[in-house]
Amino acid sequence: MSKTILIVDDSMSMRQLVKMTLTGAGHQVIEASDGRDALTKLNGQKINLIISDVNMPNLDGIGLVKEIKNRNEYRFTPIIMLTTESEQGKKAEGQAAGAKAWIVKPFQPQQLLAAVEKLVG
Amino acid sequence: MLNGEQWSQLLQSFLEEGGDLLKQAEECLLVLDGDLADEEAINGLFRAMHTLKGSAGLFSLTPVVAFTHQLESLLMAVRDGERSLTPNLISLMLRCLDELGSMIGRINVETGAVEGNDEVLQTQLLNALAAEMGQGSDSLPTPTAPREGQVQRAPATGEGAWHISLRFSPDLYRNGFDPAAFVRYLSRLGEITHLEVLDENLPDFHQMDPEACYLGMEISLRSASSKAEIEEVFEFILDFCKLRILPPESSLSDYLQLIRELPETDERIGSILVASGLLTEHELNTGLTMQAQGEEPRAPLGSVLVEAGMVAPAVVNAALEKQQVVRERRAQESSLIKVAAHKLDELINLVGELVISAAGAQLQARAHGHSDFIESTQVVNRHVEQIREAALKLRMIEIGDTFNRFHRVVRDVSQELGKKIRLEVRGADTELDKSVTDKIADPLTHLVRNAIDHGIESAEERLAAGKPAEGHLALNAYHESGMIVIEVSDDGRGLNTARIRQKAIDKGLIDPNANLSEHDLHMLIFAAGFSTADSVSNLSGRGVGMDVVRSAIDQLRGTVEIESRPGLGCTFRIRLPLTLAIIEGFLVSLGGEYFVIPLDMVTECMELGDQPLIDGIYGYLNLRGKPLPCIDLSAHFDLPASAVRRRNIVVVSQGRQQAGLIVDQLHGELQTVIKPLGLLFQHLQGISGSTILGSGQVALILDIPSLFRQLQALVDTGASETRSVQNRQELLPRL
Repeated sequence: MSKTILIVDDSMSMRQLVKMTLTGAGHQVIEASDGRDALTKLNGQKINLIISDVNMPNLDGIGLVKEIKNRNEYRFTPIIMLTTESEQGKKAEGQAAGAKAWIVKPFQPQQLLAAVEKLVG
Repeated sequence: MLNGEQWSQLLQSFLEEGGDLLKQAEECLLVLDGDLADEEAINGLFRAMHTLKGSAGLFSLTPVVAFTHQLESLLMAVRDGERSLTPNLISLMLRCLDELGSMIGRINVETGAVEGNDEVLQTQLLNALAAEMGQGSDSLPTPTAPREGQVQRAPATGEGAWHISLRFSPDLYRNGFDPAAFVRYLSRLGEITHLEVLDENLPDFHQMDPEACYLGMEISLRSASSKAEIEEVFEFILDFCKLRILPPESSLSDYLQLIRELPETDERIGSILVASGLLTEHELNTGLTMQAQGEEPRAPLGSVLVEAGMVAPAVVNAALEKQQVVRERRAQESSLIKVAAHKLDELINLVGELVISAAGAQLQARAHGHSDFIESTQVVNRHVEQIREAALKLRMIEIGDTFNRFHRVVRDVSQELGKKIRLEVRGADTELDKSVTDKIADPLTHLVRNAIDHGIESAEERLAAGKPAEGHLALNAYHESGMIVIEVSDDGRGLNTARIRQKAIDKGLIDPNANLSEHDLHMLIFAAGFSTADSVSNLSGRGVGMDVVRSAIDQLRGTVEIESRPGLGCTFRIRLPLTLAIIEGFLVSLGGEYFVIPLDMVTECMELGDQPLIDGIYGYLNLRGKPLPCIDLSAHFDLPASAVRRRNIVVVSQGRQQAGLIVDQLHGELQTVIKPLGLLFQHLQGISGSTILGSGQVALILDIPSLFRQLQALVDTGASETRSVQNRQELLPRL
């Protein structure tokens, strides 16, 4: 079943990779280049899943999660955080903020798809 | 990544391990040679090949891997009862082991390559093996998937299904999770045969929180996946549900089997369960947390896990059994440490220096007469003594390893000669210095070959002589008064003294009229250039005579004697000092020079009366009614004539020979650290080494066997020509 997924990452190539993986599996993809940009995309449209980087300019991933949890229409939307080994310290903070699914970069596209399926399949 | 040096080190330890494995394999083969159906030996052999193949694979030693692979395949077929062993097959496999040994020996530690690999020979051996098995080598069964590294999962595909029990936490929805998504994903792993949604926790409608989850699920899943794979489906919601995954009833026994077969590396019960795939990492962590939170005294992890419904009680019991086995194995293993021999040598050397300097300190203390000083040096000396003993013990190894290699020698040689011979090994746990063990192996091999070749008769001869057709060869070792005694005895025809005598006369070794005792005749076989075999077989007559055995034993400061009973057998008895590094010595002096006599050769000391020796240097004295041949050492070594008025005799013995050494003064026992003589002095007769005294002075160690031989030579060549042969024999009865 096709889902609408918001990808938040300041890295163009990373967005590209995630987008290709997801569209390949038949999902609709909306892109945002950082947390603040993402918030503007959360404008009432239907979004099934948010995939976000942690380290971003303007508003980082953790800040974004906190904002999302404050928005009534999106507060139950599942979130997948993309993180690196070195950012493991942020994981606890992010989980407390409400991001429960974490994937460590570098990951196999297959891994990402599996996580998407588990959450919104 | 590993650097080159680390790699070489790893490879070096592989080479050592490889040698051990081959030895184990050979032992197993020899056991199988006696009992073709010995299951333990077959398994042992298989394991050795399997391990060797695995380790060789790590180092990309392709030829070794390829070769062991074929052996392993064959052994697997034998183990599984598809093939049976034959004596021919065992002979072939022994040759294969030899080839493996030589392959491993040719591995270059620097490059990690097998140099000059003889593929032709290997192919020949493998073809011969295949022919013996009665089929082409291609059709040898291939071994099952390797077990190294990853543990094989127990098959869960059989009858029955995984049972998954889920109890969601109320927070599930609020965190953005949809249970249905997980269940859908689960169906990718297999077929969900049954799913029941539990809604008994649902509150009344008006009390219900629409954002809370009140549900639970019981799922039956037919799947070949492992427990960990199933758990992974729920990875994101592990914190928001209680998850219990139970293996299919039918595969439980497979798991139990698996637990028993796990490699014995880890002894934690949780690790055992995780390794078997019955418990996931997450469950283990949860269990450990629960255990840590529990009240004192903490419940064992096993019962925590069972109570939480993570594993079945039978599984925990199996894991506990396994743990016990591993612990016992560990206890045995941990009591052994492998140390490079040269490190021990270094330690022994240092201890030697310590002994000398401690003696020096004591000497100083005595010279100064300071009582406190003397006392403390005495304490130091006592400890040095203990250290010396402990250090020497480190070098002691059981002679069993050396003895065991003779099973192979006896087997090969007896087969070649068409004789049936049983080897009996006794006293394998007798300990002696490693360097002595290394040096005694060759002489022993020679004696064993000789016994088989010359000693033990052919089956027909034996039967005619009323003996059992099967010959009996025994190796025996025991300690006797500070020496180790090694016996090689057979029940063959014994030494033929008439033939030895004739041969010796032919070879010009003795005078035709010489009147030799039986014992002297026996000892003639150790003379250089003596060989009694009518036909030189390629076994014992390899151009090296028994004189080589004799000189090897002499070098070890040992002695050898022969006890022959015509028609009944022959025993070679070798006596060796337990160690070569430090010995108990007896210090004497001649004029201003010090000499050490190995204490184990000293039988008694007494004062020399006024009676002079016959020619001033050599002669005999009356020792309790028996003539005792004597040497005046000062004169013998051409030292300045002694000024001491009362001189002493030290009576030394070697085997059954006795002699008196006339010396000036006796100084008593001495811990003698043996220092080899310099190259220039190595050919000195009568001196075997030197040592340094506490005072810093050098003392020479007397080579008693060589002195005995010198005396013997003097008797034979007529240094005392004036006396008749009859008289000389009287004079030096045992020389």
